[in-house]
Amino acid sequence: MAAGRAGAGCWQRALWLSRRCRLQAGPESYRCSSSSTALGKAVDSSEVTEEEIVLPRRKTWNKLAVLQTLASTVNRDPTAAHYMFQDDPFLMPRNAANSRLYSLSKESGRNAAKYIVKNFPQYFDKTFAEPNVPCLMPETLTPQTEGVSEEALKERIKLRRVKESVDIFDQLVQAGTPLSLETTNSLLDLLCFYGDEESTSENEEEAKKDLEEPGVNASEEKAPKRQFQRGLQSSGPRWRDNNHAERIFKIMPERNAHSYCTMIRGMVKHGAFAKAYDMYIDLLNERHKADVHTFNALIRAAPILKEKFTERWELTKEFLTHMAQQEVQPNLLTFNAVLKALRRCGGVGRSMALLVVKEMEALDIEPSLATYDHLLSIFYRGVDLPPSGIISEVLDEVEKRSFTPQDPDDANFFSTAMQVCCDLKDIKLAYRLNKGMEKGDNWKFLDMDRLNGYWSKFFSLLCMMEQIEVVLKWYKEMSPSLFYPTPKNILDLLQALDAANQLEVIPAVWEDVKQLGFTRRQELLEEFLSLMSRDQHPDEIQLAFAKCAEDIKAAHEPAGREQVPLEWTGSTLGNVVVLFSRAGRTQDAWNMMELFQQTNRIPTDKVMNEFLNCAKQTNCPEESIKLVKLAASLGLPSSHRLKSRTEEEFELSEIQKKTLESIKWDGDSSDSDSSDSDSDRE
Amino acid sequence: MAARAGLWGRAGLWCGEGLSLAGLSRAGLCCRPGPGGVPAAPCWGRAAYSSVPAVSDREGPQQREASIRRRGRTPQSVRSSAPPRTERMAVDQDWSSVYPTAAAFKPASVPLPIRMGYPVKRGVPPPKEGNLELIKIPNFLHLTPPAIKKHCAALKDFCTEWPSALDSDEKCEKHFPIEIETVDYVSSGTSIRNPKARVVTLRVKLSNLNLDDHAKKKLVKLVGERYCRETDVLTIVTDRCPLRRQNYDYGMHLLTVLYHESWKTEKWESEKSEEDMEEYIWENSRSQKNALDTLLRIKASENVSDVTEDELLASEAVKNYRNSVIALKNEGETEGNMSQYKESVKKLLNIPA
Repeated sequence: MAAGRAGAGCWQRALWLSRRCRLQAGPESYRCSSSSTALGKAVDSSEVTEEEIVLPRRKTWNKLAVLQTLASTVNRDPTAAHYMFQDDPFLMPRNAANSRLYSLSKESGRNAAKYIVKNFPQYFDKTFAEPNVPCLMPETLTPQTEGVSEEALKERIKLRRVKESVDIFDQLVQAGTPLSLETTNSLLDLLCFYGDEESTSENEEEAKKDLEEPGVNASEEKAPKRQFQRGLQSSGPRWRDNNHAERIFKIMPERNAHSYCTMIRGMVKHGAFAKAYDMYIDLLNERHKADVHTFNALIRAAPILKEKFTERWELTKEFLTHMAQQEVQPNLLTFNAVLKALRRCGGVGRSMALLVVKEMEALDIEPSLATYDHLLSIFYRGVDLPPSGIISEVLDEVEKRSFTPQDPDDANFFSTAMQVCCDLKDIKLAYRLNKGMEKGDNWKFLDMDRLNGYWSKFFSLLCMMEQIEVVLKWYKEMSPSLFYPTPKNILDLLQALDAANQLEVIPAVWEDVKQLGFTRRQELLEEFLSLMSRDQHPDEIQLAFAKCAEDIKAAHEPAGREQVPLEWTGSTLGNVVVLFSRAGRTQDAWNMMELFQQTNRIPTDKVMNEFLNCAKQTNCPEESIKLVKLAASLGLPSSHRLKSRTEEEFELSEIQKKTLESIKWDGDSSDSDSSDSDSDRE
Repeated sequence: MAARAGLWGRAGLWCGEGLSLAGLSRAGLCCRPGPGGVPAAPCWGRAAYSSVPAVSDREGPQQREASIRRRGRTPQSVRSSAPPRTERMAVDQDWSSVYPTAAAFKPASVPLPIRMGYPVKRGVPPPKEGNLELIKIPNFLHLTPPAIKKHCAALKDFCTEWPSALDSDEKCEKHFPIEIETVDYVSSGTSIRNPKARVVTLRVKLSNLNLDDHAKKKLVKLVGERYCRETDVLTIVTDRCPLRRQNYDYGMHLLTVLYHESWKTEKWESEKSEEDMEEYIWENSRSQKNALDTLLRIKASENVSDVTEDELLASEAVKNYRNSVIALKNEGETEGNMSQYKESVKKLLNIPA
């Protein structure tokens, strides 16, 4: 409600409910009848009509259902930026870099607020909200129990104070206080999770990662994802030799399976794969059983432990057989880990992957998007792969279901699949994939960066394969609201426009390019100029082109103190001159001609002819004489021909004729070859 | 026309600059165009090209340079506004996606040429861009009729079917005579509670209660001003309990108690005298006695002796007289009532007009 903005003082009547109760207690009992039975004898209504009234049962739904239904009536607004940004022309992001920066700043602002709330809880002691919202209130982060005791240790573990917990543990051990196995295990959990580093630094890093994932899908898959990424991409703290976790593990009087599993998982997570394997052997020697998560971690580590493809697969198989022996039920993540390992097994992977998927089906485990992602990577990534139709089968499966995040790698699927579609140059597959992506909540798998990548790939494919009308329609639909085109996308679009012979759209595209801030991309400017100057167009289009040329010219001129202007190249200069000439802007064209001399470039014959035509049309003999002078000073072979043309086509005054005659010829060479090519043109 | 003028204006500038440049380069003083002469840096190119009118293009290079300096040391870092997105909006766009929820007025998103505010002297109200007056007022851009239709269609699943037997208001009233009214409130404050939401209004038509004359009169006397004589509706508003449910229960309790209380006849009610009556009743009143008395004596004087009181009461003249007296007593002395009374008395006493 707009008036609601005014604040708490302004309430609105949301619902004016008025209902009726019956007085008479009929055979059935109704909502209000219990309180009105006392009036039972009141109304003498006919029993016949009474029976006919069937009151419907009250419907119940969850708290968000109404909001979700209302939200489903809203579609994407093609002209707006993402909803998280301010809807204001000044504050809206212009390009991908901008939008990334803005979303990051928004998140960091949020984190700053969280930091203040966490570190200064004393200022947030009032509960204004009614009912109270606990998650908005500061948590207690300072330990409450003092002294050295098992209780204090437990509390610090709960608060994730790595250093303090280790200190208290050491003091307790020195004092000879016996510690329960559970407490020690939970301390190990803490140490292994954070890789023996203070959790605050982890927090900051977490915060950084948070930033990369915009709102929607971040919360759902944050925790496991980070953990896994850490494990395989060596970011985050590395496992150091003999760190606190190992030390504590060694001095533990008794160890159970949980201690071993925690250690293995921690080692895999922080990149100590060989150690993890040794630890696993120890676990087997101690006749303990590992749990499914430990096996998942070990399977993920398998490709790094061995060199050869077959050895890798053998090791993976070994873990799987151990699982069967220890009667551990595999879950979805196990199979995803196996497939992920198979990605790094080359040909073995391709032969085994489908068997693994079959096994999943046999065990009645529904594959997640990560499963399909791994499959696609196995079958399409790499060189010289035999063609396979697996993508269409995968798409069949994907189209049938709406997915929920289960595996951190789920998020990669849509970008991978789109990449495969691009590689196959199959627009039909891409359309199918896009449909699957828009189905249900699947769009949540694409975060800001992946979204941009996904759509720019899709758009490139569209430019390559589709009719220009369809491309332009998509371009209009997607451009600011879904993704920001990359320079490559613009090049693709230009090529598509060229192929469809729709060059009159170029000024509009140029406007977009200006908004996107690509005015300083040399390759883009050259493409624009060469397309615009290639053919002669009707006057209106030429005028619009000349405007674009003016913008491009501005990009080449010194603007700010800190910005180096772009270098003129011969072709860009020539094209700008041609565009100005065709639009009849002789003066502008001449200014550009002068730049040839200043930047030591040579104008082509075509450029000079265009300029001369322009001068003739606007009747500027001065300019043509200047041109001849310029050509002469540059020693161009075509200057003689230009001179003769000037003499023939313009009505020159006496002075002008004299000036023309007085031009010195530097290069007195013959212009036979150039006159040949000229005769073709005229 | 404006665009054309701008174009020509700019072209003029370019010509002038070109000439001066040519002069400079001939003199060999300078081989690059001075920064001041450039119409605009590419970054804020748009502002300089299209929105600044042609006149300002003619301002001297020094002035331009000064303006660059004013705006900041590095003009490249100065952001310009993008063109408002209304320019790109399709004519048949889905408006409810542009304004999905309540939001302040956004001039760049509302493709309407709105003006608002105090007009300048001999002018028009200011346009929408940067117009505070438009942001201040509440808008209903998110609640357009199509949007509401969409919402209703989407919310249909949450509704139960209306009982088909209750197809008219009369039937509703007949089967469900008690009407309960409550109000929910929303606001964007920190609290979702509103003290006014606890108020419960209960309405019932007295004719729907099983009351005899005595009970009804007693009930009306008990409830006082809560009863509306014209519509025959008893309204009980309860707000003394902190919760709505409690207020509802209390209202139902009040109604029950009132009903039973009005059916009771206390001992002292027999002492009710004429002054305590709620309305004038002619039967057995002194007026009836006097009228009959007079009539009987008239009859006696006319030697018609076989007339009983009952016959007299059934006669037209007496009935008329009764009605007019009742009207006079119950409704007050209006002109109509008085003349009616006069006529009936004349008829009763057989006085020729």
